[in-house]
Amino acid sequence: MCKNMPPLELAIQFHGHICPGLLMGVRAAEFAQKYLDVSPDQDEELLAVVETNSCGVDAIQSILGCTFGKGNLIFRDYGKSVYTIASRDKDRAVRIAQKYQAQPHPDNVRYRELSRQGTLTEEEAAEKENLLASIFERIMTTPFEELFNWQEADFAIPEKAQIYPTVQCSICGEGVMEPRAIMNGQLYVCPTCT
Amino acid sequence: MCEANVYLSREGLEELLMEGVDRIIPGDDDNIFLENVFGERRLVKARIKEMELVRHRIVLEEIKEAAVRPHLELWLEPDTDHGHFHPGEEARMKLFQGFNMRAHEAASMEGLEAFVRINGQLRELALHKHHDAMEIELGQELEGLAQIYVHYKGESELYATAVMEVGHHHHRGLQPLGLPLEIVPLDYSHARLGENYGIQVLKDGQPLAGAEVRATFNGTQSRDYPHHLKTDGEGKCRLFLTARGNYLFSVIHDNTTSTFTLIKSF
Repeated sequence: MCKNMPPLELAIQFHGHICPGLLMGVRAAEFAQKYLDVSPDQDEELLAVVETNSCGVDAIQSILGCTFGKGNLIFRDYGKSVYTIASRDKDRAVRIAQKYQAQPHPDNVRYRELSRQGTLTEEEAAEKENLLASIFERIMTTPFEELFNWQEADFAIPEKAQIYPTVQCSICGEGVMEPRAIMNGQLYVCPTCT
Repeated sequence: MCEANVYLSREGLEELLMEGVDRIIPGDDDNIFLENVFGERRLVKARIKEMELVRHRIVLEEIKEAAVRPHLELWLEPDTDHGHFHPGEEARMKLFQGFNMRAHEAASMEGLEAFVRINGQLRELALHKHHDAMEIELGQELEGLAQIYVHYKGESELYATAVMEVGHHHHRGLQPLGLPLEIVPLDYSHARLGENYGIQVLKDGQPLAGAEVRATFNGTQSRDYPHHLKTDGEGKCRLFLTARGNYLFSVIHDNTTSTFTLIKSF
């Protein structure tokens, strides 16, 4: 790859496949970037608080650069497709919440059924592919306001992620981040050995 | 009790499709979504033929998919995984024959001709058989946007075209090659997943209105082309790109088949 990949391609490459959840995340990530007028994160200029651990979060990570490893992706296990994206430079944040659909589109219902099904016949595989194409086009072309609610968030942006020293566990001998270790007298013990 | 039994009428015979249906939603592409009181769901390609609500009976009429009628066509694909070559690199194309981007074993087709037009110059290229495809060597000296086409004249006339980028950022406007039947990309530089892509069909250089254009992509699960488009009064049509690989557009007119491979470049 020697050209800049479009955001959608970046998300698909990161996630490994195309699915409706990822595409919804792509819409949210692209909206946040435009709304806050920011570039993808390099070194924690952005921060994301995600209230789900489903597919859409991979779009947030790949497009906005808020990643688990950098510490600027904070996961709150609320089971909600809600993403709060904050910019340190702009000192503002936006909370984006996927709208609840009381009656999901029949294509989505059938697509989920086929996705849950282990083995697909040739016809079912073709049907699933066609359903995904319809869902894909619908998600990417539906006006954003029909998919999501959003509002400026009153959000206290935390300090950048800290780097802590690594100490040695006195039982297994493996390294462990100091604040996660427990002191046993003068010795450190890691969480797996306690 | 307000649920109904749904029957499917197939060639004059009715068969029970689903019992206790309490939700019916007509969807896109002639699909009807059914859900019953037991939580079962189905999506069928049908239209509602009759509703007898007093008898809790609904009859659907099956809509038959058009039978797949494979025809032989040629198409080109680049011998690279990121859709373009770099100056100095050996640029190579593969020529396949088959249907819906499913290749048949490469038979030697006498009378195949291959050409490249780049920077206004047209030159003939050599073809040779290599494993499952015919290969076309473009050499190492090219730079720019190469328009490649292959021609075969047998019982029917076949054309395969593609635009190959050698080097980066060669987004100059393309001119049609001037083939008897040709699919021309409307905007070479903007082929992105999740967006519309437009093409124009020309017959002897003039827009061909009302032509059926089939479109498919690498790795499709469908036996037939997954997309069937129709050209407008200007011979144009658009497709929303939802697959990652290269796309193939194909048109048949007057015993001539012409394809255009949309090569996605990264």
